[in-house]
Amino acid sequence: MSSTAAAGTIDHHHDPTTSTGIPNKKLVMWAFLASDCMFFGCLISTHLIYRLHPPPGVPQARQVFSIELTSFSTFILLMSSLMMALAVNAIQKGNLRSLRSSLLTTIFFGCIFLGCQVYEFNNFVFEKHMTITNSILGTTFFTLTGTHGTHVAIGVFWLLLMYVRSFQPQDTDARPYWFLRNLLHIAVFIGAIVLTGYLLIWLAWAFQAGGFTLATLGKFAGANVLAAIADVACFLGIFRLGRTAGPYAFDEANAVDVEMMGLYWHFVDIVWIVIFTAVYLLEYI
Amino acid sequence: MSAPAAPTPSDHGHPLEESKFQIYVQIAMLLAVITGIEIVTVYLPFAKWLLVSVLVVFSAVKFLFVIFYFMHLRWDKPFCTILFFIGLILGGGTMFALLKLFGMANSIPLTSL
Repeated sequence: MSSTAAAGTIDHHHDPTTSTGIPNKKLVMWAFLASDCMFFGCLISTHLIYRLHPPPGVPQARQVFSIELTSFSTFILLMSSLMMALAVNAIQKGNLRSLRSSLLTTIFFGCIFLGCQVYEFNNFVFEKHMTITNSILGTTFFTLTGTHGTHVAIGVFWLLLMYVRSFQPQDTDARPYWFLRNLLHIAVFIGAIVLTGYLLIWLAWAFQAGGFTLATLGKFAGANVLAAIADVACFLGIFRLGRTAGPYAFDEANAVDVEMMGLYWHFVDIVWIVIFTAVYLLEYI
Repeated sequence: MSAPAAPTPSDHGHPLEESKFQIYVQIAMLLAVITGIEIVTVYLPFAKWLLVSVLVVFSAVKFLFVIFYFMHLRWDKPFCTILFFIGLILGGGTMFALLKLFGMANSIPLTSL
């Protein structure tokens, strides 16, 4: 795992040690993505076939969708793709600091996208009364976008693991508790994401129910003091655990791992490019 | 698992590696602009077939930019492109076949017939 490759000395597009000349990890990821194309192709075409003719009482797709929210989600996912490409570029040059900041930004954008999807699903089910069971449109829509959202969630978790992995020390004997420290790092990261999501959803509901007033904010703060303190503690933990002294085992030689993760993340983005057009925009024509 | 690639001095300090940052940023801006144009397009008062065609072309352009630049297919060995396009063509073919076999009328609930 550990390597001391000098920055800029590895050919990241070719690997002479494999029979194909392509790093095996990258080849496996491309094969997986090719199979995922067929998976999403079936889900998208099923939605296109069954999107019309909802039963009485269930709204049409156009009455349900919010093009503003979806456009914002699309923009966020495109920007996360840019940050992911910059992360791969950074590790290929051996720039660990830039890699970490790019990964953190990608995680942040991925969480925003997931938050938008949670808000959208909540809005569709409770406000617009389109559920996964009351029409075929709902069934195909939630299955398709839910599967894509699951891919994004897995991607965010993978990014998180890669970020924490970049803190693995080169000399593990000198820092015997590094593995437990990294586990703690993952735990506080997940805690921060879950608690922030919980607080934001709670806040959005509070404002929707009680209006945008100081009384609503006070009620929210009173009911969530412990969660807010735990959230702040998690963020402080992330900050503290992210300030370790090098040298690190993670360097340019691990670029193929980051690139493989990047391929997965970009694939999630291109699937959304198709979903955005085929599922959302077509309803407005 | 493959071992780390052997160093190739020819790659050291390659101008293309240096300029990738700018390429990525420019492509991201282009994709954002195309997305904006797509959103405006759906409100234009043109024939439906024309608008659908324009949207499909825009989506394809965005798709190709991401796979060839962000996913490095442009710089990788052609076998990666071939492998991915096998899945893409099979997936696209499945979509085309399903849409041909089952028209929109299939979504009419049996109770309303």
